[in-house]
Order: sequence, then structure tokens, then C-alpha cells
Amino acid sequence: MKKSRLRVIAPLALVTALALSGCSTANLGGDSAPDGDAEKGPIKIGAVLDVTGVGASLGVPEQNTLNMLAEQLNDDGGIDGREVELTIVDNQSTEDGAAKATSKLIESDKVDIIIGASRTGPSLAMRPIAEAAKIPMISVAANVAIVEGSEWVFKTAQNDVVVLETILNDAKEKGYTKLALVRDATGFGEGIADYITALGSERGITLVTTESFEPSATDFTPQMTGVRSSDADAVIIWGINPSAGLAQKAYVQLGVNKPVYHSHGISNQAFFDAAGDAANGVIAPMGRLLVADQLDADNPQREVIEKFKADYSEAYGEQPSGFAGHAFDAWHIAVNAIKEAGTDADALRDELEKAEFTGISGVFTMSPENHSGLDASALILAEAQDGRWNLVKD
Amino acid sequence: MTDSTKPTFVGKLAPRASFWTNNKGTLIGGGILVALMLVIPFTASSSMMNIVVFAMIFALPAIGLNLLMGLAGQVSLGQAAFFAIGAYTHAIMLTKLDLPGPVAAAIGVAAAMLVALLVGLPLMRLRGHYLALATLGLGFIVMIAVREWDVTGRTTGIYGIPRPTVFGIPIDNSGFFLWFITPFVVIGLVLALNLTRSRAGRALSAVNDSELAAESLGVNTYALRLKVFVLSAGFAALGGVFYAYQVAIVSPTTAEFHLSVSILLMVVIGGLGSVWGAVAGAFLVQFLGEGMREVIPAIFPGATGEVQLLGYGIVLILVILLLPGGLYQATITLWRKLPFARNRRAADAHATAAEDDTTIPQLPAVSTPVAAGEPILVISGLTKRYGGVVAVNDVSLTVPAGTILGLIGPNGAGKTTCFNMISGALTPTAGTVTFLGQVISGKKPHVAASHGLTRTFQNLQVFTSTDVVGNVYMGRYRKGRAGVLRGMLGLQAHEQGAHRAASYEILKSMRLTDAADDSASALPFGKQRMMEVCRALAAEPALLLLDEPMAGLSGHERDVMAELLRRLRTAGLTIVLVEHDVAQVMSLADHVAVLDDGVLIAHGDPETVRNDPAVVVAYLGTDLDEAEAELNELEEHA
Amino acid sequence: MLTDFLQLTVAGLSQGSVYALLAVGLIAVYTVRHVINIAQGEFAMLAGLGSIWLVSAGMPLIVAILVAILSVTLVAIAMERLVISRVKNLTPLLSIILTLGISTLLQAIMLLAWGPEARGVPLFPGTNLLIGGVSIRSQEFWMMGALIVVGGGIVLFYEKSRWGKALRACAEQPVAARIVGISPVAASVLAFAIAGFVGGVAGVVASPIYLSLWSGGVLLGLKGFVAAVLGGFVSFRAAIIGALLLGVIEAYVAGYVGSGLRDGAAFLILILVLVVRPQGLVLKPTAVRV
Repeated sequence: MKKSRLRVIAPLALVTALALSGCSTANLGGDSAPDGDAEKGPIKIGAVLDVTGVGASLGVPEQNTLNMLAEQLNDDGGIDGREVELTIVDNQSTEDGAAKATSKLIESDKVDIIIGASRTGPSLAMRPIAEAAKIPMISVAANVAIVEGSEWVFKTAQNDVVVLETILNDAKEKGYTKLALVRDATGFGEGIADYITALGSERGITLVTTESFEPSATDFTPQMTGVRSSDADAVIIWGINPSAGLAQKAYVQLGVNKPVYHSHGISNQAFFDAAGDAANGVIAPMGRLLVADQLDADNPQREVIEKFKADYSEAYGEQPSGFAGHAFDAWHIAVNAIKEAGTDADALRDELEKAEFTGISGVFTMSPENHSGLDASALILAEAQDGRWNLVKD
Repeated sequence: MTDSTKPTFVGKLAPRASFWTNNKGTLIGGGILVALMLVIPFTASSSMMNIVVFAMIFALPAIGLNLLMGLAGQVSLGQAAFFAIGAYTHAIMLTKLDLPGPVAAAIGVAAAMLVALLVGLPLMRLRGHYLALATLGLGFIVMIAVREWDVTGRTTGIYGIPRPTVFGIPIDNSGFFLWFITPFVVIGLVLALNLTRSRAGRALSAVNDSELAAESLGVNTYALRLKVFVLSAGFAALGGVFYAYQVAIVSPTTAEFHLSVSILLMVVIGGLGSVWGAVAGAFLVQFLGEGMREVIPAIFPGATGEVQLLGYGIVLILVILLLPGGLYQATITLWRKLPFARNRRAADAHATAAEDDTTIPQLPAVSTPVAAGEPILVISGLTKRYGGVVAVNDVSLTVPAGTILGLIGPNGAGKTTCFNMISGALTPTAGTVTFLGQVISGKKPHVAASHGLTRTFQNLQVFTSTDVVGNVYMGRYRKGRAGVLRGMLGLQAHEQGAHRAASYEILKSMRLTDAADDSASALPFGKQRMMEVCRALAAEPALLLLDEPMAGLSGHERDVMAELLRRLRTAGLTIVLVEHDVAQVMSLADHVAVLDDGVLIAHGDPETVRNDPAVVVAYLGTDLDEAEAELNELEEHA
Repeated sequence: MLTDFLQLTVAGLSQGSVYALLAVGLIAVYTVRHVINIAQGEFAMLAGLGSIWLVSAGMPLIVAILVAILSVTLVAIAMERLVISRVKNLTPLLSIILTLGISTLLQAIMLLAWGPEARGVPLFPGTNLLIGGVSIRSQEFWMMGALIVVGGGIVLFYEKSRWGKALRACAEQPVAARIVGISPVAASVLAFAIAGFVGGVAGVVASPIYLSLWSGGVLLGLKGFVAAVLGGFVSFRAAIIGALLLGVIEAYVAGYVGSGLRDGAAFLILILVLVVRPQGLVLKPTAVRV
């Protein structure tokens, strides 16, 4: 009885296979869209962001920004009359989520360019996939390792080395010679201690102790206890919110009375939400977005920033964060390049390497050697006071 | 555990038959799976393709966990830990040492199995909840270790894993990948199916029914469970290897608890103990997860993250409450309702009925390692204390080979406790049991069994998940040799066939052939008891311990049993029996020992013991005359 | 250095108090039903997130906390009535799958209801103390106080009251409990109610410092389990001591070895104890369960 069933099933399967084999080879590396359409149909921009999970305070405003800008662009008629199709995929703040999302965007959505991810770890996970597929990618995360030696990957957040230089210069001016570091344990914080040691030696500054914390951490007593008993003159807390803000809160609660610097990873409202009053007095390097109202009137970024802030707060009823700014810059750099070079991957990449753009985080000048495009002039130092940032040094 | 929730590897014992008949189900199922996987890349949308690919990847750890839960009866909440170890090791071998893919994969699987062995050695001794929670802890340890170690790339993990290449073709799209993984899943499936039907698989399934009985038949539960645990880790690691290939990055999330939960869910949905169920479960959970990720945000606007957990939780609870056997049970139930399936069962029953015969059965084989009359069992100073209560007090006895010793005494005299200490089910507080010159007291029952000592139980220990012949077949365990590996490769059909034939022969000797294919749990009480004796005899023992073998038997059945025991003694078997039916004991036994309140008060031939005043007092009260009268009456009655 | 040591000890003891409360809940259920409740940690998270929600809805802190703890107690009772008691013959295998299912369901509900972010209940009233350089946060007093009052209360209840003694008898002999006048059903409901209550208390007192997160319960519950194992899963006192010990060891590991290894310490202890002394730290190997 079963034999006879098999006799039916096997040929059936074979016939089905043959009949359907003509249908689609999309899953086997074939292109579902005929090549001719590639230059005519909608332009496809993919984004992989940390919309949920520990990176959500970065990814959500980035997502908002991209959605807003895509809508604006399509309302204005798209690029050369071609509609822009934006696909945002949440990587849930995980590295493998980012890798899966990137593969999906490339394999099934056939995007022309990818923006993301929000943080260094997921960005590093995406890089080899974008490179293997030869699709340009613009990360909105900070660590220079994302773009180092890459042909296809760019980024819009300030290099962490530049950020550290800004902090160390200020520390040197104030006469601090010993620093303690409390860093995020993810890709964002990896290598920071080495940079401080290297950059500090030129400035007579030594790193006396390093502590680390998970981005999901809620208790910082051990780390802060270690910092408290060190002989450091000042402390650098290097992380993103909410953990960086919670670390700041524990720092004050546990009575560590040393000046404290944070990284550019905290430039959003979430820092004040998490740290509360403990935020007062914190100094952090950041882009000009949060202190736009305090800028000189002739600052070239001022106009761009003020328009973005107005648009964003109209659309979402809140002020944009620095991370929203990174996404703004990435979007415009991508769109400008597509306007010039179209969607051919090689041409697009070459165009990105020539990009010049006055954006939220600074004035970008990309080159084949520099896929980051920002220098120290992109950063200012600001001090937190009562829930807002005051410009201390431009 | 109700019958329906018990992990069951049904599947009839393989009779001597063609390869096709023996493996029909596997061949048809495997063929359909392969055909589907061939077609899917041409027909499926890319998101569907994604689901299928990950279902195939996770089918491997699910098959492994299913073996552990179904066969070994143990829950692991750390299957993701082994998945991650496989994935990480593979990735490190590929990216840091540039080893060829197959070598890297083999090392990855071996690493996970090694860790499982090291963790399993102490943990598999624990019962119940402890293994589950220890493996849950292991999952966290692995996650922390990879997050804190430079070699594993800390929180970022290891990225840039090169795509595999087969015969020069790079596996760089999901269609090729599906074809790449399918043979491995099918091979894994076949190995697992073979294992469940093998000597080792049947033994473990017996352990789930009655650990005590299985061990008394020579099953080393601990060693078998450990092997299955290690094997299940290997399956998980192989899944991890493919995961690393497909995703091209391995990060600490691969060791995450929620991944272990979803693998567990695959097993539960599919049905504990059904290998095919595990594969089906893997597909269902992937579809469920994908569906929930689509549906939930539509119902709850703004819902993000791992919303599929809502479905996972509900399904876990509902399956256990409403369909404890999972898909497998549902399918079987439906199948039995089909008209032609019912007819076939009826035909089967008819066939067995026709086999019945009335000739004098052949005597089951026994082993006679020492000459009749030589001491075979020496008990010395045997004592068992529970707190302040002394259950057995300083009992010493020697049993000569080829004799029947009857052990009698009032209720609570310590007879069964004695039995349990002799067979290894209990560890004596003091004293030793020496069997064939080996000290066996204080060791697990399978040690005694391996020397040729088997037993039956006063409280029946029936293997309820199989049929009558399957129970007797388990008695042959000691006579078989095929291990886990041979079982997986399916290289024991011949051995199994021979043992099955032997099992039928033994059933004949107790005139149980009619019931051979009946479910053991459906048998009447008396028949179950006779089946247990058959099961013990199937091991070809040198010493047989029978705990109340006549209880619940009809007069005719008692005669059959007594006759068989006498013939066995003549053949050289040594028998020790505990029995309430004093008259039966007196007529059967060569020697009788009497226990009272844990103390051996008499020992000798039946005549001497019967006339021993101390026995009479112990047995029947203080009035000597009355007692004697009653005893005589009993004897006459018999 | 001594300051550091004391600072870490304070943090460890306050964290250990939370573990202790969870261990008490686990043991309460285990002694009666022989079920290890994997959802114990979710009770804590549920109470924390529930309080935050009630406070944000305008309820005064103290009322919000009490309502949340009470609700979680009801959730625990519902879990017993609707799920656990429905299975006639609850083997370890089934009980693990079932409580795991409930744990997963509760997590998903919290995720859907309150989102993926970790959040904290507002700090309870009180002032931080700084004694000899060691800072003790007021919330840490609340955490240790909760253990002393609630944990101590439960221990007294079990050891002194008629019902408590009956519950303990249930572990060994359901008949014994019936003689004292408590039905197995009532005993089971009461045990789950206790588990929900202590879980809820632990969740709200820890939330202001350690925050509440939809997925945070598994790890927390597991720490409670480690403590319970240290107590041989039968003795409340031993488990409480084990929990405090665990909290302190974790703090030392985090402070002196590396903060990332903190959770690893707990599970290493778990596996070591299971291997070396599965019967727990206090009982003799042959001691009878009480």
C-alpha cells in the first residue's frame, strides 16, 4: 500500500520540480528583476538599525529620521523621477540579527545601498556581507574599525579617535595626568583603552584603571568602587544610554568626586532620563546639534541643523538626538551620490569616495583613504546642566 | 505520567525481513523530505526560503534534544550552549586557523561533545529537575565565556566566516545552502531513527518505563544516558556549524536562553520521543515565529522585539495540557481512525492467533557457570537500617547452584528488602553479597545482572510503552552487544532478529504466545507477572530471584509456573523465591529460609523448617498447637 | 581597600536579599508540589514593571507597590489553578516544560505591555548614608529590610504556625497535611501564593536600583534557584544564607575579577554544588526531607 503511494509521490515531485524550475531562480543567486529595469524602477535603499534592544535609544530616532527624509524626498518627486523605496530592518541590537537583515536586504530586497547599523558591533557584522556582495554601506556607528581598509563601507559618526583626542586635549589643559576609564563592553568600547594609552603618552596622560560594563547592566557598584579607590584625576565613562546614564547615576550615588567625561555616545535625552540630577557637570564631546542655538550665526552647520530640528520636532513632537543626525548625514550622502552616479554599485561607490557634505555632525570630506570624512573640527565640548547641554568649547 | 504523555518510541521490533520492510517509513519519509527540499528553492518566496533554511538548521539540535528527552527522559534547557560551542569552534577554526571546512566542522562538533561529556559525567547522575537547571546554567556560562574571551571576539563575536564551497561551487545563496544542508539533516534523521529502534534505544525507553526493572536486566542507565546526552550535544553543534555558515557571524546570542526555549518547543510540539516530530516541530516553530512577528505588531501597534515568545509560551502550555504527545500523537490518533489502518491491525491480530500451538514447549536456556551443589550466592552479615529501624539484621545464607531456595516470613519481615540488597536495588548498611565469587552488594543492579542474576518484582515493573514480546525482548539485553554507534548505523538487524525469535520461544514456555503482540499494560495482572518471569528468563540467568511469582495467578497458571520452575532447576538454574503461598514454597523448594523481623530464624530443608517451633511461633502467633494445626491444614489444602 | 571590600559587601548583601526572597518562593512551591517554578523570576519583573506603570498612571508609590504585589500573588494563584493543577501526574519533565511555558508567556506579555526598555520604580523614601567612605544607598536598606521582614515572616510562619507546619508536612506526606486540616489543593494554592508574594516583594524593592526588564526574570530566578540548591531545596534558612553568600561572592567577583564574569560565578557555583553536594550545604546526605 505504501509502495504504491511512493510510486505516485516520486514522479509527482519530479514533475512539480521540472514545472516550477522555470518559475524563479531568485533563491539560487539569479536576479529576479531583469537587468534593464535596474536603472528605471524605484531606487532601493535599505537600512539595518538597532530599533529594539540595548541600542534602541540610538536606532529609534535614526529610524524616525530616515522615514521622514524618505517621505520628504518622494514628495519632492524622488531622484530623477524615480521613487525611493526605503526598507528598514530591525536587527534587535544583535550582531547576527544585523547579519541576517543585511543578507535579506541584499538577497531578497535587492537594495542599491545600505545604511546602518546603529552601533559598532552590528556594523562590523554587516561589513563582510556588504563587501562580499559589493554593495555600498554607510554605517552610523562610531568605531573606526568599521571602515578601516574597506572598499565598500563608509560611516558618518565621528571617529572615536577624534573624540578621544578632544577629551584628552581638554584634560591636558585642565592639568589631569591620570585618567580612569569605565567602558562599554561591546565593540563601541573595545580598543578605547589602547587608544587612550597611545594618545595620552603624547600628552603626558596615563590610564590608571579600566573597568567595563555590559550595555544591559543595571548595577555599577563594582566598577565605580574600583574607580573611586583609584588615584585618577578624572574619569571617562564610555558608553551609550541607558547604561551610560545609569553608570553616571551610580557614580554620583557612590560618592566618586572626580570630574567626569562621557563619550559622544550619550548625546540624547535618554541620558538625562537615566541619570537625572547626577548628569550635572558632565562634560562630553559631541556634534553641534544639541547646542545649535548657542552657535555663532555664521557657522555653516547652523542652517542645516536648525531646519532638521524644526522638521523633526514637527514630525515627531520631540527634539532629534545626535544619532538622528548621523542618520540624516548618511541619508543625504547616499542620496547625493545616487543623484550623481545612479544605482550602479561601482559608480556609486566611487561617487561616495568623492562626497562632500555639510551635515549635522560636521562637514564631511570623503576620500578613497578616508571613508569617515570628519575631523576634530566636527566636535565641540559641552557641559550638562539641568537637562540641557551648554557649549563650553567650539 | 499518564500513558499519553510518556515519551514513546513505538515501532515494532524488526523481524527478519527485507531491508525495505524494516526501513519503509524512514525511506518514504526521507524521500519526501529530500524531494521537497529539491523543489523549494524554485518555488518559495525569499522569506519562505529563509524560514525553511533556518528550520533545517534548527532541526538538527531539535533531533538531538528529542533523543535526550524522549530516550533518556532528561530535559536540557541548554541546548543552545552546545549549538553555540559548535558554531564558535567552527568559526574560529575557519577564520583564525584557516582550516578546511569539513575539518573545522568536525572539530566544532567534537568540541561540543567533549564539553557535554565533561559536564555530563557528574550531572547525569542527578535526577529530575537538576539536569534541566544545570544545563540552563551552562547556557549562561557559555554565553558569558564567549562574551569575555578575546578568542571568541567578545560581545561582537566572530564575523567574516567564509562561505563553504562544494566541488568548486560556492554556497553563496540560500537555495544552494538548502541543498547543502539537506543531506546532513537526512543522515542525522536516519541515525536518530535507527538509534531509537536499536538495542540501546529500546533499553532507554525501558528505563523510562521502569528504571529498576531495566537495570535489573543489565541496562547501565547512567552510561547510556550519558552517551545520549553527548550525542544530543553533537547534533546541536552540527546545527551550530551550519548556522555559522549561513549567517556568516557567530555572536553570544547563539547561546541565548530563548534559543534553548525555542528548540525545546520544537521537540514538545513535534512530540517527545518522535524523531520525525522534531523535524516537523522545527518547521512549525519557524513558521510560528515568523507568523507571530507579522501578526503581533498588527494587533498591538508598536510591539517590537521578540514578540514571537507570546506564541511560544502559549503553545508550550497548550500542548502539554491538551496534546501531551504533540504532533506525533495527533498523527497516530488520526491514522488509527483511517479505515484501512484498522483493518490491518485486525489482520495482524488474526495472524498471531493462528500461531497458537499446544505442544510441550522448549525449555528456555539457562547458564550454569558452576556445577550443581557448589555455592553460587553467598550472603554474609547482611544488614539494612533505616534511621533507628532495622529492616534486615545480620542475615547470612549460602545458596548452592541448581537448587530452589524459598524465602518466607510474615509481612514486613524484610524479604523484599533482602531481595533488593541482593539485586543491587538497595545498598546494605552492612554485610556483603557474593555472587559467583564477585562482591555485588552496593553496586548498581546492572552489575549483578551482567554476572547472570536477574529478578522479578513484587510490585510489577512492566515496560508499558511496548508490547509483551517487547518486554521479553528487553530481557535479552544482556545477551546483545550492539552499542549506541552500531545502533545508529543500523548494523544490528541480524542480532535483533535472533533475539526476537528467542523471545517468542520463551513466551511459548509460559504459554503466552497468544498475547505476544498485545500492549503489555493491557494484559491481566497474572499474565503480566508471568511475562515478567519470561523477561527475567530471557536473560539466560544463572540465578533467578522471584518476588512472589504466584501472586495473582490462577490455579492453572500456578501449575504451569511451578512446572516450569522445576524443569529449570533440573536444567541447572538456581532460583530464590519469596512467596506468600507457603504450601507452594514447601513443595517447590529444596531449602527454606525464614525471616522474622529482619532476623533469619530458620534455614534448612522444608521438613525441618516446618517443624521448627520458632517458625511456627513467628508465623502464626504465640499458640504453638494452634499454629501447628493451622500449618498442617494449609498443607493439606494445597 | 577595606572601603572597597565593605562597599562590595553591602552591594552583595542587598542583591543577595533579592535572591533570598526568590529562593524562599521556589522552596515554598517545591516542598508542596515538587515543581521547580521557572517563572519565579518573572513574578519579580511583573511586580516591578506593574508598579512603574501604576505610578506613571498617577497612583501614589506605596499604593502602586501594594497593588502590584497583590496582583502578582493573584497571577501566581491563577497559574496554579489554570495550569499546574490541570496536569494529573506532574513529572519533573512536564513541570519544567509547563513552568517554562508560563515564564515565556509572562515575558511576552510584559514585552507587549511595557516595551523592551529596562525601567526602574522610583526610589523609595530615605537618605543615602556614607559611613567611613562606604556609601549605603537608602534603597539597599529597603532591600535588606524586605528580606528580614518578609523572608523572616515566612520562615516563622512555616516553623511556628499550624498551617505552616502542615505545608511542610505536605512535602513528605499529603495525608499528614489532611490530618492537620489542610487539603492538598489549599496547600498548593497557598504555596503558589507565597511564591507570588515574595517574588513580587523582591521585584519592587530591587527595581529602583537594578531595574525591571521583561526578560530579566530568567536570570534572576536562576540565581534564586542557585541559592535554593545551596539550601538543599528544603531549608529556608540555609537557602537565605546561601543567597546572601551568593550575592556577596558575585559582588567580589565583579569587583576584583571582572564585572562581566559576575553571572558566571553563580552558575559555576551551581554546577559545583550539584556535582559535589547535590543535597545542599547544610543537610547530611541521608537526612530526611522536612
